[in-house]
Amino acid sequence: MATKLTIPKLQMSTTEGTLAEWLVDDGATVEAGQPIYSLETDKSVQEIEAPESGTLTQSAAAGETYPVGHEIGEIS
Amino acid sequence: MAQDLDINHDTLREIYRQMSRIHEVDKAIQAGLSSGKFMFTYWPLTGQECIPAAIAPLVTAEDSMITIYRGIHDQVAKGVPLKGLFAEALGRVDGVNKGKGGSPHISDPSSGSMLTTAIVGAGAPIANGIALANKMRGTGKVTIVNFGDGATSIGAVHEAMNLAGAWKLPVIFMCQNNQIGEYTPIPEYTASEGFTARAEALGFRGITLDGNDPVAFYNGMKEIIESVRNGDGPVFVEAMTLRLGPHAGVGWSHLLNKEELAAAKEAWPVPATRKLLIEAGICTEEELDAMDKANAEEVKEAVEFGLASEVTGEDEMLLDVYGDPDVVPVRGQRTQRAAEPEFTGETKEMAMFEAVQDALDLSMQLDDNVYCLGEDIGDDPGGVFKCFKGMQSKWGERIRPTPIAEQAIIGCATGSALVGMRPVAEIMFADFVGVCMDQITNHAAKQRYMSGATTHVPMTVRMIAGGGIGGFGAQHSQSTEAMLLHQPGLKIVYPSTPTEAKGLLMSCIFDDDPCIQMESMMLTYALKEEVPVGDYRIPLGVAKVKRPGTDITLITYGWQVMQCLMAAEELAKDGISCEVLDLRTLLPLDYDRILASVEKTGRALVVHAAVEFCGLGAEIASTINETLFGQLKAPASRFGAAYAPIAYSKTIETAQVPNVGSIAARVRDIVK
Repeated sequence: MATKLTIPKLQMSTTEGTLAEWLVDDGATVEAGQPIYSLETDKSVQEIEAPESGTLTQSAAAGETYPVGHEIGEIS
Repeated sequence: MAQDLDINHDTLREIYRQMSRIHEVDKAIQAGLSSGKFMFTYWPLTGQECIPAAIAPLVTAEDSMITIYRGIHDQVAKGVPLKGLFAEALGRVDGVNKGKGGSPHISDPSSGSMLTTAIVGAGAPIANGIALANKMRGTGKVTIVNFGDGATSIGAVHEAMNLAGAWKLPVIFMCQNNQIGEYTPIPEYTASEGFTARAEALGFRGITLDGNDPVAFYNGMKEIIESVRNGDGPVFVEAMTLRLGPHAGVGWSHLLNKEELAAAKEAWPVPATRKLLIEAGICTEEELDAMDKANAEEVKEAVEFGLASEVTGEDEMLLDVYGDPDVVPVRGQRTQRAAEPEFTGETKEMAMFEAVQDALDLSMQLDDNVYCLGEDIGDDPGGVFKCFKGMQSKWGERIRPTPIAEQAIIGCATGSALVGMRPVAEIMFADFVGVCMDQITNHAAKQRYMSGATTHVPMTVRMIAGGGIGGFGAQHSQSTEAMLLHQPGLKIVYPSTPTEAKGLLMSCIFDDDPCIQMESMMLTYALKEEVPVGDYRIPLGVAKVKRPGTDITLITYGWQVMQCLMAAEELAKDGISCEVLDLRTLLPLDYDRILASVEKTGRALVVHAAVEFCGLGAEIASTINETLFGQLKAPASRFGAAYAPIAYSKTIETAQVPNVGSIAARVRDIVK
C-alpha cells in the first residue's frame, strides 16, 4: 500500500509550508528515516524523513508553497 | 563471556527493550506526522528514553506517576497500553481517555499513570497529594513526578517541594534536565548551576544522575526509590539528558549546531545502550534486532488500532464534565431536584463557623478518607476563622496546617482526591483564588473530562468572601464566584445561614466532583440559629424560597439574601410583595425553581455582591427573559456591584455593593 506524503502540520501555528527542495530524485528508492525533502515553515527549514521504505513518486514541484494537508507525493 | 557490568544483565536487557519500545513509538509518531497521516501537536522525547526505561523495573502499577506533555516516554514505560495511547493521541473513542484528553492529558490509573499536565510544573503539587494519601494509608508506594528543567523556574514546583520537605512525603521530583526550556536554553533562563541545591535548601536530598547512562541511573534510582519507600522523605533527582528534537514537531533540534547534534547522537542512550549490550557480550546483534522488531510490530498494531478507531463524536461533548450530566447548565433546561425534607430532629444553636466545624468533624467521623488542609488550621489558632478550633488536638494528622502556598494546598487536595481521599481545603479569603487558579481550573475542574472519566476529583475548597464588613480592602473583599462559574467542572455553593453552611458542606464533601463552598464573612459569626445535629445534608442544586411573594422574585444568594429580605420587608410597607429565592447552590443552578417563581410573580431581579458586569445575574436574567418572554410584566434584570475593586472606605463599599436601600429602589423602579 502506498503511503501518501502531505504537507505536515509540525507546529501549532503552521498553516502552510514551502517545499524548498526534493533531496531525492523522483522514482528513487528511499529508506525509512532518510531525509527526502526540506520543508520551510514560518520558523525554520527542516529536513523531512521518509516515513516508510519504498519508491518515491513526487507530485508537487519544489520551490512552491502549499497548505497543510496538500499531497506532494507518495512512497510505494 | 559477558563483561561484568554493575547491573543484572537481564535488567539491562529489559531497560534496553523498554528504550527501544519508546523509540519505536517516537518513530511511528514522527512518521505519521511527517507524512501528514497524523495531525496533532507532538513534543518529541527523543534523547530522553533511558530515564523512564530504567525506572520501570523499579516500580509497579501501584506506584504513581505524573508527567507532562513531553511525556510519551514516561507513559510507555509506565505501562499505558499502546493501542489506547495511539487512539488517544488521535482523538478516538478507544483512547485511554475516550479521545477527550489527547496525548498531553493522558490518565491511566490501571498502570499508575495518574495525570499528565500541559501546564509546566503544575504536576508537582498534585504528586504531593498522591504521596500524602500513600503516607496516610501507610502503603509504602512511591509517586514520581516528571518535569523538565524549564519547570524549575515556576512557582508551583517550589511550593510543592517545600511542602513535600515539610511533610516528608514519599515523592520523587524527577527533573529531566534536557538543557532546554521549550526554545530557551540554560543559561538564558537561569543563573543556577544545576538544580539539586534547591532541594537541599528546602531540607531534603537533591541528587544529580546521568539520565543517559542506564547502569548508573538504574543503580542511583534503586537506592532512591528504596529510601522513599522506607519513609525517608522526598528526593529531588536531576537526571541529566539532552533533548535531540525540537520543542514541538518532528526531526532534530535546530537549537543544536551540527557538531553539537553529532555529539548528542553519539551519546543518545538508545543506540549507545544497544552498543553496550553487544560489546559487553550480553546480547547478540540478532537478539537485539528481534527485540526491536517485536517492538516495531507492537507499535504498528497500535497505530493501526488507533487509526481504525472512530473519531470521538459530539455525543461525548457534555459527558464527563461532571459525574451527572444534568449538572451541566443548559439555558432554560429545567432539571427538577428534590429539596431536603423538613428537619424535625434535635438542633443546637450555632454560628456559621461552628456549623462548618460540625460538618467537618462529622464528615471525618463518617469517612477515614476525609481530611482537612489549609493555612493556620492547626491549634492554636484553629484556623483564622476559628472553624478548626480544637480539631488538630482531636484528629491529629488528619488536620494539616500548610505552608502559605495556595498552589501547594489545592494541588495536594487534587492529587489525594485522585486516589480516593476526600480532602477539604481552606484557602482563607476568596481573593486568594487567583494564586491557585491554575490548580483549581486547569487541573481539579478539567481532570474528569480530560481523563474521559477514568479519574475524578472529589475535593472541596472553602473560601471566605470578606465583602460587606468594610475595611478589608480590595484584596480581601472580592466576590470571586463569577470567575469560578466560568470554569466547567466545578460545583459552587454559597450558603446564607449556618444550617445551610453545614448541609451544603457535607453534601460537597461526599460529592464526587470538585466543589467550592464560599462563605461570607458577614455571616460567619454574626448570624446564629438552631442547626440540625448529626449527619445533615442539603442536596446541591436546590434553591429555596425564603420569603413568599407575588409581585417580583428577588433571586439572590450568600450575604445578599439578608439584604433582600430586609428590602422585601421595607417594600411590603409600600404594598409591594417580594418573593426572595435563595439559590444556595450556584452550580448546579436550579433553573426549575427560578422559572417557577418568576412564572408566578411575572418580574425578577437577580441580586449579588459580585460585580454586575458579566455576572451570574446577567446569565439568569437573560435566561428568564428568553424562556418566559410572553409571561413577563417587566424584563428580568440584574443588580450587582459597581465595576470597581472593593474600596477600603466603608462609605464607598456600602455604595458600590447592593444594599437594602438600593435594592428597594431598583424594585420600585421595576414594579411601578
